[in-house]
Amino acid sequence: MAMVVDMDAKGELGFPYWTPVRRRLNPDSPFFAYGNIQRELFAKQVALDLTEDEKNHLQNLVDEDGRDIFCPIVGCGARLTFLEDFEDHYNARHAASCSVCSRVYPTSRLLSIHVSEAHDSFFQAKVARGYAMYECLVEGCGLKFKNDKSRQQHLVDKHKFPRAFEFFKKAHPSKKARQKHQRKEAIQKRGETSSKMEVEGETIDGLVSAVSRLSTSDSSPSSISFGRHHTRGFIFLPRAVKREHSAHNGTKG
Amino acid sequence: MAEDGLASHKRDPIKSSVGSVAAQKRRQNAVAVGKERRESLVRAKRLCRVGISGDSDIPLDSDMMIDEEQSILEAQTLSAVEELKSAIAFQGKGAMQKKVGALRELRRLLSRSEFPPVEAALKAGAVPLLVQCLSFGSPDEQLLEAAWCLTNIAAGKPEETKALLPALPLLIAHLGEKSSLPVAEQCAWALGNVAGEGEDLRNVLLAQGALLPIARMMLPNKGSTVRTAAWALSNLIKGPDSKAATELIRVDGVLDAICRHLRKADEELATEVAWVVVYLSALSNFATNMLVKSDVLQLLIQRLATSNSLQLLIPLLRSLGNLIAGDSHTISAILIPGREITDNIIEVLVKCLKSEHRVLKKEAAWVLSNIAAGSVEHKQFVYSSEAVPLLLRLLSTAPFDIRKEVAYVLGNLCVAPAEGNGKPDLILEHLVPLVGRGCLPAFIDLVRSVDTEAARLGLQFIELVLRGMPNGEGPKLVEQEDGIEAMERFQFHENEDLRNMANGLVDRYFGEDYGLDELAD
Repeated sequence: MAMVVDMDAKGELGFPYWTPVRRRLNPDSPFFAYGNIQRELFAKQVALDLTEDEKNHLQNLVDEDGRDIFCPIVGCGARLTFLEDFEDHYNARHAASCSVCSRVYPTSRLLSIHVSEAHDSFFQAKVARGYAMYECLVEGCGLKFKNDKSRQQHLVDKHKFPRAFEFFKKAHPSKKARQKHQRKEAIQKRGETSSKMEVEGETIDGLVSAVSRLSTSDSSPSSISFGRHHTRGFIFLPRAVKREHSAHNGTKG
Repeated sequence: MAEDGLASHKRDPIKSSVGSVAAQKRRQNAVAVGKERRESLVRAKRLCRVGISGDSDIPLDSDMMIDEEQSILEAQTLSAVEELKSAIAFQGKGAMQKKVGALRELRRLLSRSEFPPVEAALKAGAVPLLVQCLSFGSPDEQLLEAAWCLTNIAAGKPEETKALLPALPLLIAHLGEKSSLPVAEQCAWALGNVAGEGEDLRNVLLAQGALLPIARMMLPNKGSTVRTAAWALSNLIKGPDSKAATELIRVDGVLDAICRHLRKADEELATEVAWVVVYLSALSNFATNMLVKSDVLQLLIQRLATSNSLQLLIPLLRSLGNLIAGDSHTISAILIPGREITDNIIEVLVKCLKSEHRVLKKEAAWVLSNIAAGSVEHKQFVYSSEAVPLLLRLLSTAPFDIRKEVAYVLGNLCVAPAEGNGKPDLILEHLVPLVGRGCLPAFIDLVRSVDTEAARLGLQFIELVLRGMPNGEGPKLVEQEDGIEAMERFQFHENEDLRNMANGLVDRYFGEDYGLDELAD
């Protein structure tokens, strides 16, 4: 029987590989809750009277009752009623997507930075003429730089981003972009509210509030990263930024 | 609607049927939202509405429900208790009849009304009077009625059940073999309700020696007493401490009785006994060990194969699951691929997967996932069984909780048993075809879930695909199914472990040089 034996030593550091284990559950585990309720309902002769819909409704209440479900995206914390609500919520609030290349950002600010830097020839023109156009990604910092590299350096030096971080991946051949575009069109054809449409339909207020929550949140996330190409473990500290900001004399705008 | 229901009806849903209005009320109560409602639904107590059959001396009341307004009911209860008080004090001729008559009236109020006026009874001081009626030497009729009243007083809210504390020693005493069967049964019923309240009361009952006499009541072959005793036991041993479960399995004759009942008893009795096995196997390693060494495994499987009663199937399946999860011996020494018992268990699990009942599908998948966590032979066995096509279908159509369990099964099939601390080896013979049959989108879907455990599973499976699919196909497949986008969501996720996992995968497999060899087409 052929098995893949992967000798690659420099694999994902600390990635918890799938390991088959027997899972033992306590009798009072929520996993068993619905079966327990079935037993008691039947003893009270209620189970016989419930319709299928009522049973499903009850099941959902049982499965998720008492467990507060919150959106896990940093800075959001929106309360969700059912597990299934997350997808809709995510598409409505956290999927600011670029209409040109379909990249997705969690806030409209980051999206707009991306759009300027990646798709705006006017932006490129100013860069070419030596203007400091590359904004620091950390909201509230306000510094701007003449090129991507120095912004990168700033992020590393001042905001503890990892050296290998990249806000934009270097552009790759169109295949990926094409696939994404195709996907989006398929979604739109299906008539579902695509993330793009959600964002357009979303009021400015909604996005702004999501953004403001991100920047003024007291519970600083222990680490956050942007863009696709990133590594772990750097700190995003909005409060720290505000403190530094007041001591800064950098270009603002 | 739901909140109104909570405010005015603070009691349990009613048990017997009085037409569709009552049925509708019961449904509303059951489905209504609210922590209190949920607690009362899970309440493991049972109201006794119909007399325990067997004693022809006790006239059967009509089946009519009392349909009085709550305030009238409370007034009647108060006067019934007063009546009982004076009957007890009465010394003259016919004292016994007076007492039984008063008890009967109170019992009627506590069992024939939709929402028994327990609070009123307690406030009027019923419990001490009932305790007096339980004194040794009292006629059976009196003992029965008193125990019945206490049963229903204990069937509701926690503080009401706790009010029975003074009565416990006597109730336990009347479980003895010298007591008439109906009396013993009614006392066991009352104690079952008390045990169903919570850990503290369970500990009191165990300390006072309730386990042994009730266990003995489960030994005969049939009768309603056996069933009531089994139910009461399941409440008594449900822990969370394992001591009671361990003690129970050690009682002489219990294991034998369990086997006998699983084999031959009618479905109602078998159901209660199966629940006893559920708690024995979930809580006590010692009990699990003894059960696995007996015929119980076989009997559970047999019963699962022949029964169609959901109420029985649930505890049978769960017992099976517990025995497999709790003791490695089950899989390593008994359920060996190639043996008939192993074929049978897969058949029975497939039957549950095919069921329309959500509970059965979910818990059957859980059991399968544990079998698939066994040896390579076990994985091959499960993989080539009828289960896999069913699982794949469930993966795309079933509700979330079932999909999660199915994910465990499929993933376990693709990874060899871990040896030491290294990366577990992949089983390509399973991984490649399963991915070929379209299971990847479902895992990527799990990655998108709010549920941390599910997201983790999804990411772990994606890692298998990325690592293991031959010819470097993995990354392409993942990308095709929007896997990259799903993983990128974790950049802004607050869970650091998940973030690191997702980031790690993206960095490693979709790095700088990803897609460079693809020329635009």
